Amino acid sequence: MTRPNTGELQPEEAPGAELKSYAVGLLVSFLLSAGAFAAAFSELPTNWKVIIICLAALLQIMAHLRNFLHLNFSGGQSREDLLLVMFSVCLLVIMAGGTWYIMSDLSGRMHQNGADHAMERPAASQGL
Amino acid sequence: MSSNNGLYPGLNLGSVHDEAHQQAEATVFGFWVFLMSDLIIFGILFASYASYLNPIGMAGAPGPQALFNLKSVAIQTAFLLFGGVAYAGVSLSMKYDHGAKKLIGWLLICALLGGGFLFFEISDFIDQAAKGGKPQASGWLSSYWLLVGLHGFHVFSGIVWILAMVGQILTRGVDDVVKVRLSMLGVFWHFLDLIWVGIFSFVFLVPLA
Amino acid sequence: MSGQSSPTFGNLDWEVTPYTDLLEHVNSSTIIGAGAASVLVLGAFAGIALLTYMRWWKPLFRDWLTSADAKKIGIMYIALALVMMARGIIEGLVMRAHQATALGALDKAETGLVAPDHFAQLFSTHGTIMIFFVAMPLLIGLINFVLPQQLGARDMAFPVLNQVSLGLTAAGAGLVMVSLLIGDFGTGGWTMYPPYTGLDYSPGEGVDYWLWAILISGVGSTLTGMNFAVTIFKSRAPGMHLMRMPLFCWTSLCVAIMLIYAMPALTVSSAMLALDRYAGFHFFTNASGGNMMNYANIFWMFGHPEVYILILPAFGVFSEISSTYSGKRLYGYTSLVIASMSIAVVSFMVWLHHFFTMGQSAGVNIAFGIATMIIGIPTGVKIYDWMATMWRGRVRITAPVVYLVGFFLLFVIGGLSGIILANPSIDYQVHNTTFLVAHFHNVIIPGVLYGMLAGVHYWFPKAFGFRLDESWGRRTALLFVGGFIFTFMPLYVLGLMGLPRRSPTFQDPDFLPWMYIASFGAVLMLAALFCLLWTFWKSYRHRMSLSVPGGDPWNGSSLEWSTPAPVPEWTFASIPKVQARGDWGETKRAGDPWRAPDSYADIEMPANTAHGLIIAGMAFALGFAMVWHIWWLAALSFFAITAALIWRGMRVIEPRIIPARQVEEEDRRFREYVAGATPITRADEESERNRGVPDCSEFAG
Repeated sequence: MTRPNTGELQPEEAPGAELKSYAVGLLVSFLLSAGAFAAAFSELPTNWKVIIICLAALLQIMAHLRNFLHLNFSGGQSREDLLLVMFSVCLLVIMAGGTWYIMSDLSGRMHQNGADHAMERPAASQGL
Repeated sequence: MSSNNGLYPGLNLGSVHDEAHQQAEATVFGFWVFLMSDLIIFGILFASYASYLNPIGMAGAPGPQALFNLKSVAIQTAFLLFGGVAYAGVSLSMKYDHGAKKLIGWLLICALLGGGFLFFEISDFIDQAAKGGKPQASGWLSSYWLLVGLHGFHVFSGIVWILAMVGQILTRGVDDVVKVRLSMLGVFWHFLDLIWVGIFSFVFLVPLA
Repeated sequence: MSGQSSPTFGNLDWEVTPYTDLLEHVNSSTIIGAGAASVLVLGAFAGIALLTYMRWWKPLFRDWLTSADAKKIGIMYIALALVMMARGIIEGLVMRAHQATALGALDKAETGLVAPDHFAQLFSTHGTIMIFFVAMPLLIGLINFVLPQQLGARDMAFPVLNQVSLGLTAAGAGLVMVSLLIGDFGTGGWTMYPPYTGLDYSPGEGVDYWLWAILISGVGSTLTGMNFAVTIFKSRAPGMHLMRMPLFCWTSLCVAIMLIYAMPALTVSSAMLALDRYAGFHFFTNASGGNMMNYANIFWMFGHPEVYILILPAFGVFSEISSTYSGKRLYGYTSLVIASMSIAVVSFMVWLHHFFTMGQSAGVNIAFGIATMIIGIPTGVKIYDWMATMWRGRVRITAPVVYLVGFFLLFVIGGLSGIILANPSIDYQVHNTTFLVAHFHNVIIPGVLYGMLAGVHYWFPKAFGFRLDESWGRRTALLFVGGFIFTFMPLYVLGLMGLPRRSPTFQDPDFLPWMYIASFGAVLMLAALFCLLWTFWKSYRHRMSLSVPGGDPWNGSSLEWSTPAPVPEWTFASIPKVQARGDWGETKRAGDPWRAPDSYADIEMPANTAHGLIIAGMAFALGFAMVWHIWWLAALSFFAITAALIWRGMRVIEPRIIPARQVEEEDRRFREYVAGATPITRADEESERNRGVPDCSEFAG
């Protein structure tokens, strides 16, 4: 596992390890983005496509947080920031998920049961 | 060693001076908090977008099938991804003191890639408006334009910020304050990538899936 | 507004003032409108004249407006809040007077003191002002003043940002004030629900005033929340662990969290409504796929945490004063911390109870109804903790304690009516009646207003160096308690009798007696306001006999009482090393608390700057220009704000250095004073002998 640059900086340390971390992040992100686009163009059933796209997005977000923004549990400030991000995501899930829960229920009761499948998709809660 | 522990990535402040470190830590942490506030804004816009994504919300105006150009979205994604990674150059050359020239060079590359993204995004918007996809046409289009447009505005602000930082490097040199600001800019720039991952997945790909 | 828009002045013309209406029709409504505008204009002139006559312009600019000192910023917030509160209370009185005269008949609907449209403006501005420009500045100001001192910090983490936040709040308040003279305010209530507030039904500038006041001050509040959070996490004195922080700091942290995560929702809903109105978007319109229910959803996603933003600092104040004025340790510190944090988090899960009747299924209503009832539990825990703190304590009946007891009695009633409303099936019966109005005033007035005024009374000596007059303080508190009971208890009855809220008229004569009682209560509230002002004035007159240079007039236990009163700009001559919870109390028990530090060092303070003032001015211009469609001014001020930010970034800003010698001199003078003063016991706390040096043999909180 490459060591992300958490800032435990020794001046003589070479940027090699960090470059590698960025390179891995780039590669992973690129593959996941490409995968998501490929899934969208593919002939898979809709549900599968949606699942693949969501999964790819989630993984890519995690890769960005770890490799580009250097968040991890190793201690110090990076850990505090990661906890902050996780707390924010919890609240975001409450707010966006609640919105989805309320608005889809309302729209269901406005006699558009047949029409609101588009809303049933889990497009709501992932802001990250 | 312990005074360095917990320092922000890429921060190589000149003097090993506790107060400067603490201030830097507080400043970048504060910026993270600000971004979390921003994240909530985007989150609510995503949720709203989802709630307008139905025939009633589209109100007979053109929908995703008619308007979205996935090829262009893929190009924008590439621009933004490489623009984000290019900021690694800024972070690393700041951390290892590669000099102001390299720093400015990397910053300008980021700005250029961001500009490329904006160019394709704006031409998409113009194209969509010509096809009847104006934000005034339906609730769904309003939420689409606001969400994607707000992200675009963030990228634009990021470019302005990059240029302002270039100006600061030229006028005041790479001092501690500038270093802290560059690492905040880095967090901002990578954060925009994150939001874009959400946008291309949930705004563009999911409705077309 | 004549409907013509000029490129230079937008929609502005000479007919926008209430004097035009007065010239057209002379009646009580137009007279009140023009009178209010005149008070604004004359007040502004009087202020300018006073500043000029007393030659206060320069000190005002140098010592206050350009100061980045959190303590001064806090005081300015509170001053702003008190000015706005005067307007809010008077509006409340006018509304009560109107309803007491508004018994109409079906064929003659328009009766009463003011016209229906004017009445709608009154309740809209009253709500907007009381929430955003009274309650918020009061609590943000109090936190600004107290938080760094309690944490053992010299200032907020971002002093200049703090100044900018104050400026933005003031700019928003300014917009609401200007609407008295120039144009009308919106008539959609403080929530401004579309589609009524959309362009189709509210074409004028009123809703825009609200939008821009909210958007501008909302940015300020978000930044404030961020500032508080970073201060608490990063600027605590050495040894001040989180679990050693005074309770007020904990509730400030909760407020910070809620400001950071709830204000964006308000920004989003207002921005969407603004786009609907300015650019023809369809978020909340009736046509083209708009969905106004989404506005209620997003707005209350902010609105409910907002309620707890308002109440939690008051809970913090009550924790401090219940312990200090009983001479006991706070009972159940840990449970209070847990309760505060639970309230902060659960408050994000209940927002739907503000629109139970919007039409969602019973299951959804139940889910949020249960969450709402759950929030009552931590609140109950708190009430018990405070009562247990006072139990068997040597309670002194000072003004803050009168507020505290009034809060106990009334807040529990308000909380109970809230639990009643949390039940969707009951809510269907009483929603949108004055029962609801009575409920939220019943939590906000005893909660926020009493809490904040108690806090002002408690910390006043720390800010200005003299105590407030206790007798007049108690009278004010009693008047606010009595005024509240008379004004709002009748509204519960009226609500159950079926009076809808915000009614400009009604036809049932049975309502009248209750209306009269409520009006009498409103008069009492106004009397309480005057009594409050009189307390300030009288205490100022007797400031010599009330002065407490020793800095610890109530024998408190948290760090802020260890410094002189008024507290110096640098707060602590040397940053304290915290050993325990209630550190100052422990130090006093250990003996020799006022020992001078071993050495003094130069102190860095943020330099004065006009940055906040400039941004505030530009933000006000931006808001005003947008309201009146003066596009060139809007663009100009927007670019000016951007330019000001970039320009400040370019400059290297040196902090101001206060030399160690000056600090030492002042600190030694303070310590000599304390050594020479006679310590007083609690029994003498209200007498002139209280010089702020307590007898350390008595137990401090």
